[in-house]
Amino acid sequence: MYNLKEIAPATYIIPKEREMKVPGLLIATSELIHEMEIDKPLDQLYRVAQLPGIVGYSIAMPDIHWGYGFPIGGVAATDVKTGVISPGGVGYDINCGVRLAIIPIRFSELDLPTRMELLKNLFELIPSGVGHGHKHKPSLTDADYRNIIHLGAAWSVQQGAGFEEDLSHCESRGVIAGGALEAVSPEARARGKDQLGSVGSGNHFVEIGEVKSLLNAEIGQSWGVEKGVTYVLIHSGSRGFGHQICQNTLDHFMTEGYAKGLPDKQLVAAPLSSSAGQTYFAAMAAAANYAFNNRQQILHLVRKAIHNVLKIDPREVRLIYDVCHNIAKIEEHLFEGKLHKLCVHRKGATRAYGPGATELNPLYQKTGQPVLVPGDMQRASYLMVGCGNSLTWASACHGAGRARSRVKSLKEWSGRDPIRAMAKENVHVMAKSPRTIAEEMPDAYKNVRAVVEAVELAGLAKAVAELKPHLVVKG
Amino acid sequence: MRLFFGLEVHAPWPDQLPHGRLLAPEMRHITLAFLGEIDETSLLPHLNTVPNLPKKLGWSGHFTSVDFFPHRHPNVVAWCMEWRVEQKSLLDYQQQLSSYVKELGFTLKEGHSFKPHVTLCRSPFKENEWRQAFQPLPFYTGALHLYRSLGHSTYEPIWTRPVHPPFIEVEHTADIAFQIYGSNSEELFRNAQLALAFKAPSLLEEPDPPFPINTWESTIKGLNWQIGELDQKEGTPFKAVSYHGNIETKDGLLTWEMIVDV
Repeated sequence: MYNLKEIAPATYIIPKEREMKVPGLLIATSELIHEMEIDKPLDQLYRVAQLPGIVGYSIAMPDIHWGYGFPIGGVAATDVKTGVISPGGVGYDINCGVRLAIIPIRFSELDLPTRMELLKNLFELIPSGVGHGHKHKPSLTDADYRNIIHLGAAWSVQQGAGFEEDLSHCESRGVIAGGALEAVSPEARARGKDQLGSVGSGNHFVEIGEVKSLLNAEIGQSWGVEKGVTYVLIHSGSRGFGHQICQNTLDHFMTEGYAKGLPDKQLVAAPLSSSAGQTYFAAMAAAANYAFNNRQQILHLVRKAIHNVLKIDPREVRLIYDVCHNIAKIEEHLFEGKLHKLCVHRKGATRAYGPGATELNPLYQKTGQPVLVPGDMQRASYLMVGCGNSLTWASACHGAGRARSRVKSLKEWSGRDPIRAMAKENVHVMAKSPRTIAEEMPDAYKNVRAVVEAVELAGLAKAVAELKPHLVVKG
Repeated sequence: MRLFFGLEVHAPWPDQLPHGRLLAPEMRHITLAFLGEIDETSLLPHLNTVPNLPKKLGWSGHFTSVDFFPHRHPNVVAWCMEWRVEQKSLLDYQQQLSSYVKELGFTLKEGHSFKPHVTLCRSPFKENEWRQAFQPLPFYTGALHLYRSLGHSTYEPIWTRPVHPPFIEVEHTADIAFQIYGSNSEELFRNAQLALAFKAPSLLEEPDPPFPINTWESTIKGLNWQIGELDQKEGTPFKAVSYHGNIETKDGLLTWEMIVDV
C-alpha cells in the first residue's frame, strides 16, 4: 500500500521513500483510484523512481496499468548527462501512436450502404491483422530504410503518400533526429521490410466516426473541427521493426550486465551517454521514424478509400495531428528555475505541449497541441488540447486502459457474435480475426470519459471534442 | 457397457468444422486400449494397479493430416498426429497398458497396430469438406481416463489418473500470460513454445534457435528468436515474450510465468 497524498485536484504525490530518487506523482480521481488495480502499477512507478538520473517525479497517468518495466501510462524524465534511457520506458511498439484527420462531410449524410462500402474499401486497401503487409509492394531496401530514418514521414510524402502540409501536423514534424540504420539489426530490417503501411493486430485500428460534440468550440473551430463532421482515427506503431529493436536492445543491455540486481529485468536501462545507450537511441529513433511513415501511409490509403467511395479529393482529408505515445525524446524543460535537457520517456502517455511551444506549427503555438485519446470502439474517443503542464513534463494520458483481460473478454463473448452485437450499437466492424474483436470489445475497456476528466482536473489537457466511432477496421 | 482407456486431448479447436456428427471438444481423445462390451465391475477393483504414466506432463505434438476410418467404408473422420520428442514413451506406455489389460484377462478389440488419432466426427460427412477444413493445430494430452461410452459420441470418464498440463493460460490485464511447466529446461522451452503455438500454430514449425537453451534468459531469447523468424515469414500476434518472472521448482517441476506482449 502506498501513501497517496492529494496535492491538487486529481493529483497525488507518493512521497519519496527507501530507494526512490524522486517522489511519485499519480494523476487520477479518487473514483479511478478506487476502481483500478493500483498496487502492481504503483510498484512499477516506485521502481521507475529509482532510475539513475531521474528528475522531478516518477509519473503515472490516469490510464495507468501494469506494463513491461514501466507501467503503461508512465512518464519519466532523466538528465541527458547523468541519466539513463530504458527500452521499458518506451515499450516494444516504439512510437505506437495515433493520428486524426477530418473528412469534409457530415457523417449523417452517409447512408448505411455508403458507410458499408467505405468500410469494405478501407478493409480491402489497408493491410491489417497478424503480419499482413502489402503483397504487391516492393520490400524496403537498406536505401529506403536510410531515407525513412533520415527524413521521417517526409519520405512517404516524397513517395506520393500524402502532402507537405501533413508534416507540420505531426509531432516533431514526423521525424526524430539521431536515428541510424547501423544501430538496427538485420532481423529488425527483415521483419519490417514488408509491413510498412499496415495496421497490425492487438489494439490497433482504423476508425471512422462522427464528431459528436464540440466541448471547446473556439479551439475546435480554429482547428477546423465541427460538430457532426466525419473523422478518421488511426492507431498503429512500428510493427515488427520496432518490436525487434526493443528485443535486441533488452538482450544487449542484459548481456552487458545493466540488469544486474534489478527486481524487474524489463526495467533494464543504460546511461544515455554510454555506447549502449546511444545505440538504443539511434535504433529507437529509426523505429519511431518507421512508425511515422507507417501512419502516413495508412492515412494515404484511407484517403484513397474516401476518394473511391465519396469522391472527395485526398487533399481535402485534412490531418489534424499525429502523436506518439510510446517514445523517449530529448526535450528542454524548466525545472527548479533552470532549463534542463532531459530524456523524456512517455510509455502509454502523450506529449501535451501548451500554447507557445516553439516546436508546434503557428496554429498550435496559439492554442496548444492536439492530444488524441482513443477510447473503445463503441463509446467515445477524445480530442484534447495540451496545457503544457510542467509537473508532468507537458504530458497527458493516451487512452482508456483495459478493464478486463483478453482471456476474460474472449470467455465473455464465447458463443456470441461480437460483430452483430456491435452492429446493433450502430458500430460496424471488420477484422482479419474474429478473436481480435472479441478481445477488444468495449466492455474490455474502462470508460475513457473518466480518464479525460482526471486529465482536465489536473490541468494537463482540456477536452476539445468528443468523437463517436461508427466504422472500425481491426487486425 | 463399452469401455476403453484414453487420453484427453486439448487443442485450439476451430470454432467451425464441417458438417457431420461432431464430437464435442471435451469428448475428443486418443484411444489407448479398447476393451469393448465388458462388465465394468470386473475391471474396477484393479484400477489402482493401472501402470503409471511415464511422464508428469502430457505428451504434445501437432495434427498432420485428416484420415477416414475404416479405409474401405469410412464412418469416422480423424485427425492424425505427429509427436514432438516423446513418441517412443507414448508407444511404450500404450504397449504396457495393453499388456496389463490382457493380463487381467480382458481381450482387446483392436487387432491392428496402434495408430494414435483423434476422432472428430462420425458419418454422415463429406470427405472433401473435411480435407479442406484440416488445420495442422498443436495439441497436448491431458488425463488418462477409463471411458464408458454412452452412445451418440458421448463418453463418460468412470476412472481418471490426472496429468499435469504443460501450460495453463492465466489472467493478465493487458496482454497474455501462461504458467509454463517442464521437467527440465528443454521441456520448459518446448512447452512455452507449445503455449504460444496455441495462438500461432505455425510457431511449432520454426527450427530451434541457433544457441543453447539452458537458462531463463536463453529460454526467453530463444522464444523471441522464433517469434522474429515467424514474423518475417507470415507474421505473429506477439510482439515479444518479456523478461518477466523467474524459473522456480515446485513439486519436482520447473515452472515459470510467461508474459507475452501482443
